[in-house]
Amino acid sequence: MLDLILRFVSCSRASGLRISSSEVLDCVNQLELIDVLEEPLFKTVLRANFAKSRREQAHFDHLYRLFFHDMRSDLSIPHSQSLEALMDKTLESISEEINQDASFQAILDFLRGDPLAYLEEMRRLQSDTDGDSPFGVVNTFGPLVRRLQIMSQINSIGNAIARFMAASRQSIGWEDRKAMTIHYDERLENARRMLREDPEPYDADLNRVTSYEKHLDQLGDKSFFSLTRKEMEEMRDIVEQLVRKLKDTVQRRYSKHRRGVLDIKKTLRLSAKYQGVPIEVVYRHKPRRKGKIVTLCDVSGSVWTAAKFMLNMLYSLQDCFLQVRSFIFVDELEEVTKTFENHEINVAVDKSLKEADINYQAATNYGSTFRQFKREYMDILNKKTTLIIIGDGRTNYANPEEKILDEMREKCRRIIWLNPESLIFWNTGDSRMRTYQRYCTQVRHCQNLNQLLDFIKTLVL
Amino acid sequence: MTHNSIADVQQSLEKAGYICSRNVATVVFLAGTTQKPILVEGPAGVGKTELAKAVAQSLDSRLIRLQCYEGLDEAKALYEWEYAKQLLYTQMMKDRIDEVISGSQNLTEAVDRIANQEDAFFSERFIQPRPLLQAISSDEPVVLLIDEVDKSDPEFEAFLLEILSDFQVTIPELGTRKAKKIPFVFLTSNNYRDMSDALKRRCIHLYIDYPDMDLERQIVQLKIPGIKPRLAEQLISTIHEIRTLDLKKKPCTSETLDWARSLIALQVSELTPEIVTDTLNMICKYRSDTDLVKDKMEIISKNAGLACSI
Repeated sequence: MLDLILRFVSCSRASGLRISSSEVLDCVNQLELIDVLEEPLFKTVLRANFAKSRREQAHFDHLYRLFFHDMRSDLSIPHSQSLEALMDKTLESISEEINQDASFQAILDFLRGDPLAYLEEMRRLQSDTDGDSPFGVVNTFGPLVRRLQIMSQINSIGNAIARFMAASRQSIGWEDRKAMTIHYDERLENARRMLREDPEPYDADLNRVTSYEKHLDQLGDKSFFSLTRKEMEEMRDIVEQLVRKLKDTVQRRYSKHRRGVLDIKKTLRLSAKYQGVPIEVVYRHKPRRKGKIVTLCDVSGSVWTAAKFMLNMLYSLQDCFLQVRSFIFVDELEEVTKTFENHEINVAVDKSLKEADINYQAATNYGSTFRQFKREYMDILNKKTTLIIIGDGRTNYANPEEKILDEMREKCRRIIWLNPESLIFWNTGDSRMRTYQRYCTQVRHCQNLNQLLDFIKTLVL
Repeated sequence: MTHNSIADVQQSLEKAGYICSRNVATVVFLAGTTQKPILVEGPAGVGKTELAKAVAQSLDSRLIRLQCYEGLDEAKALYEWEYAKQLLYTQMMKDRIDEVISGSQNLTEAVDRIANQEDAFFSERFIQPRPLLQAISSDEPVVLLIDEVDKSDPEFEAFLLEILSDFQVTIPELGTRKAKKIPFVFLTSNNYRDMSDALKRRCIHLYIDYPDMDLERQIVQLKIPGIKPRLAEQLISTIHEIRTLDLKKKPCTSETLDWARSLIALQVSELTPEIVTDTLNMICKYRSDTDLVKDKMEIISKNAGLACSI
């Protein structure tokens, strides 16, 4: 029993689930208290100890099914004892036949009933996709190519097994051969399915905001994309006014918060001056916590208008936050924090567009942007950071790299994704909103000023 | 004082007015037996807080509740000094100090005498226990509910770790206090933000989802004994249909109950699309949601088997 749990744990770890030894200990202790033969109970205990958030649960369920249902070696073959030796022989002869490769070995292990190496391989597929494509060109098809390779390896192993079966028609009985063929086919199909489908977390905890308050009547409801130049100017004035109002509100809240409880130590110390009579009373006040903001803005034509207004507001409200850092990207990432800090906001917007070292003609590439962010800026995220991503999630069919988004989420306080596209276009064509939103804390539709204002308000207040 | 078996948990919770799935019962049983905190997650209104209350009732112990919010600190969660009394004490001391040191030969002796006095200023006398300290120092085992822990600051979360793993707290002036009886701890979270790994590691995790049809029917029948089976049936299937829509906020169990109560108050015996439309504000709390449900009413009523009036 212990052995089984430990094997499951090491497989889960290989697949990226973080399980600490203390959790394993707890789990084993708890298993003694229940009837392990009742499967739902068994699963509940494992799940309660190993998957500690809703997002991890999907991953866990997937692994659980694989390990305890698809991979159990004892039941899929009726008389396993006699067959075991035969099966070992089969696989050995195959591994002799074909050249040795790590992933090959992993597939063979998988067939043997040990999914550890194969799970690691899957994990590598999802995470380390940077650069090392076999063609020397950095392209986002890297993982796809790798997948195809593994797929063809699986197929060639399948063929090898079939050849072996045909060749050993004399030495192995008809029934045994049939059982083995069914068994291997099942396993191979499992391996293929794992390759095709990445487990996706449940998005039950996602906060989707699609409705909004009406702050302004006409301009407020007009989509950012359809603004004329004159309206744009008008919009700026309005934004300025609104920002001023917001600042006032924030200020009021701060000053109200300043009155804290009595600081007894300081009061006593001061009272020593007046022979112990507490004339001067000191209150303890601690400033409200300010958040750090990191923004990633897609500046490809489709999104930039919305991003512009958002940045405008964020920087006007800078003193409400501890720090605002902003990045713009198309297929590469560029930090523009300095530009925004040193220049007046409207100048900065133009400047960042003109001077940033970014190829505006390139196709938007979220995957490579996330990769670059991970490489260079991962350390700026911490538990006080709110990460705001503005983009339509259109990846141009490149690798979306949602796993990096997951890593980012683990590092920061929350991820808010603003999508300026009309709701009906989400998830159409190359839009990967459905993939991305599973890793976000909040997804907002942000097409006009009212919606933007709503968002800024919840962010600041 | 714990439950004896999983079935026992289920029964005693039902007696306390809480129907739960076997999953939930298993986790509660294990947590009780191994004295581990439970981290309960799930959408709003599925009865996370209710679970803690029901467990407290079923174990016949006191429930101590700590509601978390941004800016919650030790002074509000753990303990506070009673300033007014402390200040009075200093005044009293001032008058008495002459008495204490009178007759002493030299300065050293005077200081010694003062040092020998009881150190009452920072002592049990002037401490005012807040929920966490109450739970730790209670002579009877209690159920401690730390509600919406995700709303608290990361600092506070770190501060909780000592309590959750060792059931002890450290008060700088007094030293470490160990729990007399280990409390049964519930933490609830709405996923406003992710909890740290350190916190998660110390807890057993429990995810409560919206109840399935059977369970929800049982809940409605337990909470509203007078409801007619036919109405309950229609009610539940309508709610489940509505939950499949892409709503901003899905109707939760407590809203189902509210809705059922209001239908009874309206003396409805049979649910029709019109009645659903008229009473929608009991279950949909956003205008956009209400509009969406109204739009889809035809499909909902067909799937839920409501009587069509046309």
